[in-house]
Parts: sequence; structure tokens; C-alpha cells
Amino acid sequence: MNIIIVGCGRVGAQLAALLDAEGHKVTMLDISANSFRRLPSTFGGTAMVGDGTDESALRKAGIEKADALVAVTQGDNRNIMSAQVAKHIFNVPKVLCRIYDPLRKDIYDTLGLEAISPTTVLAQLLKARLEVQ
Amino acid sequence: MYIIIVGGGQVGYSLCKALLDEGHEVLIIEKDASKCERINDEMGAVCMRGDGCETSTLSDAGAARADMFISATNEDEDNLVSCQVAKHKFGVPRTIARINNPKNEIIFKKLGVNYTVSSVNLIMEHIQEEMPTHPLVHLITIEPEGMEVVEIRIPQHAAAIGKKLKDLPIDPASLLCALIRTGSSPVQPDPDTVVKAGDKFIAVVSPSIEGQLRSTLVGA
Amino acid sequence: MISSAEKVDKWSGYERILVPISGEETDREVIRLACELSKFAKKAKCKILILYVIQVRRSLPLDAAIEPEVQKAEQSLSEAENVASACECECDVETDVLQAREVGVAIVDEAIEHQADIILLGAGYKKRLGVATISPTALAVLRDAPCRVVLIRPPLSGVEVK
Repeated sequence: MNIIIVGCGRVGAQLAALLDAEGHKVTMLDISANSFRRLPSTFGGTAMVGDGTDESALRKAGIEKADALVAVTQGDNRNIMSAQVAKHIFNVPKVLCRIYDPLRKDIYDTLGLEAISPTTVLAQLLKARLEVQ
Repeated sequence: MYIIIVGGGQVGYSLCKALLDEGHEVLIIEKDASKCERINDEMGAVCMRGDGCETSTLSDAGAARADMFISATNEDEDNLVSCQVAKHKFGVPRTIARINNPKNEIIFKKLGVNYTVSSVNLIMEHIQEEMPTHPLVHLITIEPEGMEVVEIRIPQHAAAIGKKLKDLPIDPASLLCALIRTGSSPVQPDPDTVVKAGDKFIAVVSPSIEGQLRSTLVGA
Repeated sequence: MISSAEKVDKWSGYERILVPISGEETDREVIRLACELSKFAKKAKCKILILYVIQVRRSLPLDAAIEPEVQKAEQSLSEAENVASACECECDVETDVLQAREVGVAIVDEAIEHQADIILLGAGYKKRLGVATISPTALAVLRDAPCRVVLIRPPLSGVEVK
């Protein structure tokens, strides 16, 4: 698969490493070149400096041929915008994004955006672990 | 009308002042405490501190009864999200987003923001209007079809001069509605109209064939 | 309570006293103080304006009729009038209800409009998260009122009304 990951933070970099190891073609997009230090030295994909909400940067990253886009920058709104551009402007078949704010995630759920709220997921996970004892 | 403005920067501040003068009920939502204080000191209790993208803030702000929602921060993604939350969560009938990157104008419209205002594009339009040398000027955009009403001036050395309209390769999808010549009242151009230097045509075109019309009429 | 001639002089200039109330226990104390103060007024007849400001949430229009709040306001004002008339001062007592987004701002605006020369304001003193705080209303009045402001804070252990 051709996958674009917007945001090379800890999550983005780790996801990139996992997908790259499985042989997918991964393109990382981040506004700061410094973030790419998080990618493992074995990473065989592409790393590009650019704004993941910007149409032309996404084009350069090859979004027209992408099978999937994952938006995991630090900003909820940035992720939402990036994901919506991928989904509605470029018709990328699979689009995922991270939205920390659970309330905001709910709204975008109803708008058809596939989003994950780490806040909710982690809270549930911690609760489940507590209940296991 | 009750109007909510997100962002108490220069744009939000001036907008608030103008809208208050017109007698509207206005509220600014601003993250920065000192900006809030400055606005409230000057205009009374019109500024609320908070994040204009957050559901709880918008709920406190009474977004559910707002007639209009304007997001005027200098971050495009924040403007997009706050307009979408206002529209889809609170059902605000009209949402307007300020756009800082002019390329986002089309994207925002596709993503459901009712109106967008890009200062770069506005200034560009002004330059086009003010520059007499510019042969094609955008007058208005007709939504939602996206048709443009344009003014086309025939420059001195245009190849079309002396030719009849029916002999020029003008796309039938573009409509030349009026011809304005100095010293005479406007007329409706017909296929036998002969193009003269200095003629002004008012036309309705879609952006896709605008370039073709321009080169046919004004190209040398 | 104010005895020496010099002190009387200092307190005698006030002829237009604004007393914002809020249905709290300090209301009575503040109104009594206003009546005492009015007795020092020399020239004109002293005027006391008792004001109740209803804070209206943004989710409602400013002129919304919030029934329980309006009732509370009217009740507080009539109680206040009773307290004032019991004081037997010879001043004009007026009452008014306002609706506003921010109580402090409304009090300041009212002080300006009525050319009040002093505001007597009761202010709660709450401990929030272990830190003593003065209400935002009192702070706004202290900061922005054009005239003298007297803040009456109840004793920490409940309010004693003499």
C-alpha cells in the first residue's frame, strides 16, 4: 500500500517504522525536518518537509496515488483538516486521524471522518486493566 | 442578529466594533486573557475567554441561538474546525471563515463553510480592478454554480479588433451580455457586432473557459 | 459609628449612593450602612439607588425573562426597601433591576449613568481550591468604577447582622 503519514511525532514515527518493515511504501510529512530524527535508521520510505493541510504539499507527497492517509500531528484541528482534504478533495480510499478531544471526535464521527481519540482509548484501557487486578 | 466571532486579533476586533455599531449582538471568543481584557475594557462585556473550537465553550457562548458565526483567527485549520463545529453541532445557519492561505478557499467551500474571506484574494481582486491595463476583471461570483461575471476590455492591439463576434472562436458556454462603448448607452452584443479597441464586454463565464475567452478577445 | 467632626466632614459629600445587592446575607448590612451614610449628607436630599443585576447566560438573549431570577430579584429588592425604611433616614430610596452579561460591568455603567458618588458593595469571600478569592464582580467594580467604592466583606465565620 501507498501510505502517507502526516506528523512525525512518536506515534507517527512508530507507525511508519511498522508499516515500512512490512514492505509498504510510506511517505512521512512534517513541517519540521527535525522530527524525522524519530524515524529508525532502517526506515526505507520517504520523509518530506511540508504542511499536511496544504494541497500542494500533499500533492508532492503523492496523495493522488495514495491508498491511505493517517493524520497524527500534535494539533487536533490540523489532523481534522488534513484528513478532510485527503478524503473530500483527493478521494483517498482510507483516511484516519487522531483527535485528542473526545467531544470533537464525536462531531467528526457523525461527519463521516474515521477518527481515534487516544484520550478515550487510554482511559478505557486503564480502566480495563484496573478491573483485571 | 446574534453574531459570534472567534479570534480577537485585529480582524476580530475591528469586525466586532463595526457590527456593534450596526446594532448587532456580538461576542468574541478569544484564547488569550490579555487580549480579552483589552477588548472588554474598551467595548464592555463582549469578549469571552476560551477555545472557539471546543464544544463546551461554544455552548456557553450560546452558539445554538447564533445567527452567524465568523472564525477569524490566523490559523486556517482552527477556522475550519470552529466553523464546522458551529454548523454541525449547533446548527448555526451561516458560517464564515477567514482564510490565510488563499489556496484553501476552494477546500473550505467543499468542506461546508458557507463563505470564506481571503485577504490575499481580496487584495488581488482589488489590484485587478484598479489596474487599468488588466484586460479581464472579476466583478462578482455567482454561487453555488461558481459562475463569474467579468468585465473584458479590448486593448489597442487585440487580434479580435475589426472582426465580427460570430467569426471569433468564442465558447457557446460563455455569455456576452452587454457591450459598453464610450459615449453610447450599453447594448446587447449580437453575432454581427464588430469588436473595436476600447470596447468593454460584460460576460458570464465559468472559470474553466474564462482563460479561453480572454485569449480570444484580448490576445494580440 | 463615625463620631468626630472631622470624619463627618469627610463622609458628608455623598448624596448619590449606589448599593448593588445580590440576594446575599450582606445585603441588609450594606443597606443599613448606606442609610447611616445618608444622614451625613448636608446639602441636597440624599438618594440611595438599590440595584439588583441579573446575570444572563450567553445561551439566552439579554432580554430573556428568567422567572426564578426575576422573582428572587424582586423579593430581594422589597426586603431591601423594608430594611431602608426601618432605618428612618430621610433619603429617597429607589430600586432597579437590570439584566446583563457581566454584573460588574453593569454596576459600573449604572454608577456612571446615575452619577453615583459612592458605591457600597457587599462581597463574598470564598476559599476556592484553598485560595481566598474576591468575586470577579467586586474586582471589576474596584477596578473600573469612577467613584469611591466601599467593599463590605462579612466576617469569615458567617455573617453577623447587628
